[in-house]
Amino acid sequence: MSLFGMLLNALRARSGVIAILFFLGLTGLVLANVFLRPPEAEYVFDVYPGFWALFGLVGGLAMVIIMKKIIQPMISRGDAYYERNS
Amino acid sequence: MSAIASGFIHPALGFFALALILPFLPGKAWKWLLLMPPVVAIWSVMTIDPGMYGQVSYLGQTLLLGRVDKLSLIFAQVFAVMSLIGMIYALHVEDKLQHIMACVYVGGAFGCTFAGDYLTLFIFWEFMSVGSTFLIWLARNPVSTKAGFRYFMYHTIGGLFLLIGLLMRYKAIGTFAFDHVEPTNMMLYDWMILLGFCVNAAVVPLHAWLPDAYPEGTVTGSVFMCAYTTKTAVYVLLRGFHGVEALAIAGTVMAVYGVLYACIENNARRILSYHIVSQVGYMVAGIGIGTAMTMNGAVAHAYAHILYKGLLFMGTGCLLYAAGTTKLDQLGGLVHRLPWVMVLYMVAALSISGMPLFNGFISKTMTIAGAAEAHRTWLAIGLEVAAVGTFLSVGIKLPYFAFWGKPANNTMKLKPIPLNMYVAMAIGAGLCIAQGLYPNMLYRYLPFAVEEMYQPWTTWHVLQALLLLGFSGLAFYITRDIITPHAKTNLDFDFFYRLIGRGALALVSKPLAWIDDRWTEAYRAVGLAGLLTLARGTVWFDTKGIDTVVDGSAYTVQNVGVLGAKVQSGRLQDYLGLAAALALGIFALVWYLA
Repeated sequence: MSLFGMLLNALRARSGVIAILFFLGLTGLVLANVFLRPPEAEYVFDVYPGFWALFGLVGGLAMVIIMKKIIQPMISRGDAYYERNS
Repeated sequence: MSAIASGFIHPALGFFALALILPFLPGKAWKWLLLMPPVVAIWSVMTIDPGMYGQVSYLGQTLLLGRVDKLSLIFAQVFAVMSLIGMIYALHVEDKLQHIMACVYVGGAFGCTFAGDYLTLFIFWEFMSVGSTFLIWLARNPVSTKAGFRYFMYHTIGGLFLLIGLLMRYKAIGTFAFDHVEPTNMMLYDWMILLGFCVNAAVVPLHAWLPDAYPEGTVTGSVFMCAYTTKTAVYVLLRGFHGVEALAIAGTVMAVYGVLYACIENNARRILSYHIVSQVGYMVAGIGIGTAMTMNGAVAHAYAHILYKGLLFMGTGCLLYAAGTTKLDQLGGLVHRLPWVMVLYMVAALSISGMPLFNGFISKTMTIAGAAEAHRTWLAIGLEVAAVGTFLSVGIKLPYFAFWGKPANNTMKLKPIPLNMYVAMAIGAGLCIAQGLYPNMLYRYLPFAVEEMYQPWTTWHVLQALLLLGFSGLAFYITRDIITPHAKTNLDFDFFYRLIGRGALALVSKPLAWIDDRWTEAYRAVGLAGLLTLARGTVWFDTKGIDTVVDGSAYTVQNVGVLGAKVQSGRLQDYLGLAAALALGIFALVWYLA
């Protein structure tokens, strides 16, 4: 294993720390959004702080939950349904 | 026909020449020749002045092979750069046919880009279709063989739409000239041509050939294919059909549709294929909205997309090459064994997601901002939703489940990855970052004049992108157990294609089977009896005619032979007597006849 590979493995072992840094970063971004706003509203609500954070979070959650929990059970078939590499 | 006129060396020329000579080159040194056509192409597109080049007569028509303007040049430029990256990536491949077909395919793309008329465009369009089909078949397995046939059939139908449209157009207006059509004056033939283009652009619902075929191509072939087919279609749509409202809506639908499917797919190359549909959606939407800013956004995004999508396919190609699969449920825990593949893949993943510092940030945001500026709010929101899905699936899901996801995997056998594959990926990654940092590297080539060039690097744009992507990442973190990929086949519109195919087969085969049944009955009743009578007649003729003649001849010859043997007694007096009798006979005959 290369030195770089070992370093990445070490990072894997510290996923808790990375998660904390990630949450801190997100908090910092929302705080920055309180002071930094778009020069003009393009979508009406985007002048409010946290709009894009909410857009990303809700959009992402909705996409995953709807597609994986509702749509995929309806449209999925067995792995070999079409004889292709699924 | 000469492709060189007034100093323009058509970039397709080198690729077609290499395709022709490659089968006859011995040894191993031919590999370095693979780099020649891309280098010549880059030199050609960077040095040529705009103008019309290479007018030739063919099939009684005047063809224009070299319409060189800002629009064709910027596409040709990125095609040339990508061809160099692709050829470096494929340097280790021993199979000459793969290189030949890549050359035919790339040469076709250049031909389309510089085509000044529909006939030239159609000819090169079909070169691309044939070349890319082989890039699928040459994976040489039953799955790719079937996928290649489906791909070819679909593109043949798309090509027929184009052909019908251009012939109808020629009949109506008497020219094959390929120019912009006013959206308000579109005729049936224009719609036919547009339909043909939309097949190659993978416009939903005509898109399903793409996620069906691209995951089955060769490791290196898919890298080429992800760059040229859809982007050539984007180019011709820009050239001929910008401002068509239907494209604005179709593009936004594509952008969202592609990411939705990418969320639930398991095969890494199929996830990327759905993301081609999505990313091309941004371009098609920009073309449909039709302002200078959205069209520049479409061009910039096509340029950036070719680089990062090529890099994404190279990254997953490395996985396929090393591990033998791109199914995410079978991968995972490989980051420590393929660290540089992961890093280079992540450059592309962050680029496609529109992360600041990478080229997607300077191209994708231009199209979205252009849509918002043109007061197409719902379209812009749709494109933002697609951006969320892109980061979720290509930016996080794919690398997470391919490289991280499971505990460190030390048991999976991995084939060593050749150095040239890393070099190609590094070049692609370098360009993605360089364009992200210095947008003017790309912007200065944009073809449509604007009063003020879009500025991506503003504090607000950066913060907006980080908020959107950061919280999309949070959505993944929360749903990481739900989004876990499963080995499933997800039905798409190709389900309906197959139904239509089976229906068409039934429509043809059932009447044919009925005719065949009736014919068999008629044959049994009439034909067979007639044939038996004919056979009996033949037997009679054989016995009474042929045998009589042949046997009679044989008996005659035998009797003559017996008589001859008796006559040859060996006694001189017999011969004298016979000679005297013969002479008397002849004398009597002469006397009688005289």
